[in-house]
Amino acid sequence: MPPSEGPGKELDAKCEELIVKYVSDIRSGKLEGSLNIAMSTVSLLEQIISDSQNPTALWMDVQILVTRNLKNGSTDLDDYWHSELCSTIRAVGRQILRALPQELAATNMVRRVLRAIRDEQPSNANQSGEGAGESLQRLVLAPHSRAAPADNKDLIEPVRDFIAELRGELDSSTQSVCGQAREHVHADELVLTYGASRLAERFLRAAAPRRYRLLLAESSDVKESHAMAARLSAAGVNVTLVSAAAVTALMSRVNKVVLCVRAALGGGAALGGAGAHAVTLAAHHYSVPVLALAPLYKLSPLHACEQHHFNVPDSAHSALPYLSSESALARVVAPRYDFIPPNHITLFITNLGGSSPSYVYRLLSELYDPSDYQL
Amino acid sequence: MEPSQENVVQAVVIMDLFKNNFSPINKTKPMAKHISRTCNFRALLSVAGVPLIDYVLESLGLGGVGETILFCCQDGPKIKEHIKTSKEKKSPWSLTMDVQVIMSDTCQTMGDVMREIDAAGLVRGYFVLLGVNSITNVNFATLLEEHKLTCKKDKEAAMTLIYKRVSWEHPLIKNNKPLFLAADGNTNKVLIHEKTRSNNNTLQLPLDCILSHSEAKLHHNLVDANIALCSPSVLPLFADNFDFQTRDDFVNGVLINEEILASSLYYKILKENQYAAAITNWKTYQIVSWDILHNWVYPLSIETGSFFQNNYIFMENHNFRKITSKLSRSCTLVEDVLIGADTEIYDNTTITKTMIDSLIENGTIIAENVNKNEGSKLKGAVIECSEQDKNDKNLVKSTSESGTEWENESDGSGDDEFVGFDKVWSDSESCYSSDSSAQSSLPESPVPEDTNIFLQEVIDSLARGYEEKLKCDYLILEINSSRYAYNIQLHEVNFFVIRAMLSIPILVDSKSVLVTVKDILKFFRPILSNYIKTKSSIMDCLRAVEESCIKCDWLEGKAGQILHLLYETDVVDEDSLVEWYDDLKDNESPLINQTSLVKFFEWLQEASEESEESE
Repeated sequence: MPPSEGPGKELDAKCEELIVKYVSDIRSGKLEGSLNIAMSTVSLLEQIISDSQNPTALWMDVQILVTRNLKNGSTDLDDYWHSELCSTIRAVGRQILRALPQELAATNMVRRVLRAIRDEQPSNANQSGEGAGESLQRLVLAPHSRAAPADNKDLIEPVRDFIAELRGELDSSTQSVCGQAREHVHADELVLTYGASRLAERFLRAAAPRRYRLLLAESSDVKESHAMAARLSAAGVNVTLVSAAAVTALMSRVNKVVLCVRAALGGGAALGGAGAHAVTLAAHHYSVPVLALAPLYKLSPLHACEQHHFNVPDSAHSALPYLSSESALARVVAPRYDFIPPNHITLFITNLGGSSPSYVYRLLSELYDPSDYQL
Repeated sequence: MEPSQENVVQAVVIMDLFKNNFSPINKTKPMAKHISRTCNFRALLSVAGVPLIDYVLESLGLGGVGETILFCCQDGPKIKEHIKTSKEKKSPWSLTMDVQVIMSDTCQTMGDVMREIDAAGLVRGYFVLLGVNSITNVNFATLLEEHKLTCKKDKEAAMTLIYKRVSWEHPLIKNNKPLFLAADGNTNKVLIHEKTRSNNNTLQLPLDCILSHSEAKLHHNLVDANIALCSPSVLPLFADNFDFQTRDDFVNGVLINEEILASSLYYKILKENQYAAAITNWKTYQIVSWDILHNWVYPLSIETGSFFQNNYIFMENHNFRKITSKLSRSCTLVEDVLIGADTEIYDNTTITKTMIDSLIENGTIIAENVNKNEGSKLKGAVIECSEQDKNDKNLVKSTSESGTEWENESDGSGDDEFVGFDKVWSDSESCYSSDSSAQSSLPESPVPEDTNIFLQEVIDSLARGYEEKLKCDYLILEINSSRYAYNIQLHEVNFFVIRAMLSIPILVDSKSVLVTVKDILKFFRPILSNYIKTKSSIMDCLRAVEESCIKCDWLEGKAGQILHLLYETDVVDEDSLVEWYDDLKDNESPLINQTSLVKFFEWLQEASEESEESE
């Protein structure tokens, strides 16, 4: 399959409308958090796929005609239908990528669905085991789903099954990441985390029975950090709230750093919230292990050179109050993400267990088709 | 009316400011062809590369508004077309919001607009009122809910005004009329709303407003975002009080006659992470543009209106360029630069704090031949290009002290305009400031509307008085009452009374003008002595004579005689005459060479010498 075939497909009006609505929901802050965004992306794709399943009457005619004329027509038709669907989804993915370069989870979901469609493609079925990126997962799980490729009425069925599976995976991802909490956090340890995040909060709460102590460094969103500290403390965790500036000074005493990253990147690097790099740098200096919480939907096949995804400016309010007199003159640089190099991270904790940064490429090739890395 | 419609948040956007603060661009731009350009009209004026209207619609859409009424007083069809194309392009707001464009050419003020809306019954209940110049990222729906809560507590609550608190040194404060607001500390009810003059450092606070409230808040650092949340009672209030012309009129009227109108005002200061500002003049235009570029107004940004398609490439130091723009390798973008589509930047150009915005095909070209020899730098400039011309235009460095300067050296048909700003905020009033007090000497050709009407009224009163031989005391009363109706300054009254006397219709038809003038002056002697008393009023009087003699045909060549008559009736004294004559020379007035005037002053000179000799 060619990696990027031409300028991509034109999407129909209804599809466009769905995307615009989805994008403006995210831009306006109605949808927050990468998990929610991933979920809504999956819903969006499902809707688009089921819309494209009801082709026009003309298309039905063609189908009938071709099935009559060709003896092995069904395979060709399926092939055609699949590649049509692929290019539709890819076009959707491109739109989302352009509109939301900072929300990597959204495009990851597009890649996952694309992979599923490709797997179902009949012409691909014979070639399985050929590609270098062939996954263990597929070898174990896939074969029986291809038992009856000729059943052309249910073309959509496997894809729909996959989407349901994907949704199940998203639903359980937080749980499966947090389930590993007790393996990593031990009694009497001093754990440091940076900023507020839902996943980190769940993870740390799940580790609460270990009776560890937690240092919570405030991120730029001070209010959220305080609220999280209060909730954790109510859940029985021994929390100390510290300023982000104090992290380096405290690091020598810390046993472990737990960070919820925004995305795990191809080379084993990660994107954290603004300020995370300072924390991991300190940890690196003191050789403190850094655990990065990255459920599978955060794994992105991007590399550090694709800067325009990372250089997303945040609202200037997060760095400087408008009330200050400098606000009119100063040029506020308020990045949303910090790039964390791979050597600062000890372990990525995914749904499937811990994996070292050098193994991320393997996970990626299992999740996505190499031809979809570049949407 | 369906019940589901009740909950839809309505917004009224007034698409005109009824001021000519932006006159250079919105007047000289050709009306034709380009829809997305600034045309004759503010709504399509682009700020940081996006038409103003797109920001407004976007923020309304994001803010949970369901139905928007755009009220256009000019160029309605263009707005309509713009809305239509945006809908076709599926702008995000078009999915959730219903946009209605209303046109009316008769409306001259914001008050007229409100009365028109009231008459048409377009608004169902509580609504958001904002101008097209408001840039904000607030959630209108929640604000309106808060306003409804206030209304539940106080049935008389008519309007909640939205303000953004900024630092006192912030240029948004310096470049708007400073606002002083006093409010009840517990309920946020507005007690005093005063737009003071910048040179006035004192504030007067009635004791009453401290005594009758347990806590009073005083604000002096608020930015008016031109956004208000209105109760249904606002429209009838505008309809009943036809002297309300602007929102400030309304605010002041309500505050002064709180008991009579049975309504009160509240205010709300936005949270720290919300942004709101109004573009009122070029200075604020520039400030708001930088704020947008610096991402203060997130989620509104330079991408607004383009379906978030990220057509800009973000470079370091807040430099942005459209994907289709071409940059030479040797050009330098220093900071805060925005380069629009299809723009070409040639060799050795250095650009700082500039928005080069051209959405048209051929775009703006900053040619290398200029920059090579001059190494010229563009600093804090807004370049607008309206014609598709490929001529190289010379942009000469033009940052003048006074703030604004126009350069147009393009050859031939080019309609390019270049507005330069001094980056440093000077304290002097910029020529686009909304103050009309700058008319210290002669009111120049476009006399403001009110004063014109006032002049006409004074002429009418005097003509009638002269014909019917009325008592001058009555005429003075009449003039004074018209003066208060149109809010005319005292020195202007002096000026216009004399002006009116010399423009009474009888004079126009009279065969011997001078005899009639003499007669008129004699008749109106009491009026003259009432108004023309002090030295400064005498100067006003003389300026009026000057203008009358320039403007009125029937007085042509008779300035000297009229002055002589005034001198004889002791209205003007010799010193003032001499001083005025010197002024005339300085200003190179067209009168200076009139023989009658020259003769009169020769005579005056002789007369004074004679009198000195006789002493």
